[in-house]
Amino acid sequence: MDAKLLNPFIQAAAEVLKAEVGAEISRGNISLQKSAMTSDDITVLINLVGDVYGVVMYGMPTATGLNMVSKIMGQEFTVMNSLAQSGVAELGNVISGRATIRFSEAGYQSNISTPMVLTGSGIEISTLDFHRIVVPLETQFGTLTVHLALKEKASGEATAEFMSSLKVPANPKDS
Amino acid sequence: MNVKFLNPFVSAAHEILSMEMRGDVQRGDLRLENGPYTTDEITVIISLVGGVDGTVFFSMSKDAALQLASTMIGEKFETLDKLAQSGIAELANVITGRASMKLAEAGFESNISTPSLIIGKGATISTLDYPRLIVPLITSNGATTIHLALREGPPTNLKAPQLGVPKAFELPKP
Repeated sequence: MDAKLLNPFIQAAAEVLKAEVGAEISRGNISLQKSAMTSDDITVLINLVGDVYGVVMYGMPTATGLNMVSKIMGQEFTVMNSLAQSGVAELGNVISGRATIRFSEAGYQSNISTPMVLTGSGIEISTLDFHRIVVPLETQFGTLTVHLALKEKASGEATAEFMSSLKVPANPKDS
Repeated sequence: MNVKFLNPFVSAAHEILSMEMRGDVQRGDLRLENGPYTTDEITVIISLVGGVDGTVFFSMSKDAALQLASTMIGEKFETLDKLAQSGIAELANVITGRASMKLAEAGFESNISTPSLIIGKGATISTLDYPRLIVPLITSNGATTIHLALREGPPTNLKAPQLGVPKAFELPKP
């Protein structure tokens, strides 16, 4: 996985968390993991399809999820009910959506899937041959860990190469 | 969940499983569930994006996964190692891919995501407000259950504008 795919997500996460939750984030140490991910209490899973494809997961402890959702919705949540889950899912959705807008500005078109919320810690999530870049984002509400298992579609590069290999006369009338 | 999305999956699963598992495939009783999905030992997740939007789960027990992978790859697996995992994911990928081709023929063009594999029983996965249609499938070499949480996607006309026009083919300015 290419590290250049990382920044759009971190920027998007910083913007969204600031706007929606009022959280200031500080980034922890980035690591690359090859083995399966072990789930946190709450994991929001979103797939990307298109020029950039793979899986993005947002892991957090229940307390962090509840704190953030309480902030977003302006009401106190003490249990992860379906409304709270939908709030957490929406947070993941908005961050991923914003990141893909940045990708499209850079010329990579991708779509995101509907979010899924996985509850239950200690479950293994394998992204198979996709390595994961793991970025912990620390906020005053707790830590949100972003896991990116993304690849860039090679066809974009191939097309560029193919296009440059076509010898187009500068002025078609000359030929 | 729209039932018209069911048949492409059932027939794709039937075709692929009867070919890969070399035997008969039987369909159990269909049912609709509203709550979150509680994971079985092994779950493969694949999302659809486009004309059909949502998620497909393939759930199975560990024994079934080992049996399916062994039959498919033609090698006896004792543990669910990387190769066996990738075999199971591939099986789900091929079924979903074929179903999405059938859906495209019916006018619902969508892309499928890469598969993710969840190992571990008892976690819950919520597809939020997407109810799940459940299709149990039994083969002679292991059983799997397909969960479809799908709905018709937003109308997109993105396909054409997304294709860049190469400079050489642009119309000359008058």
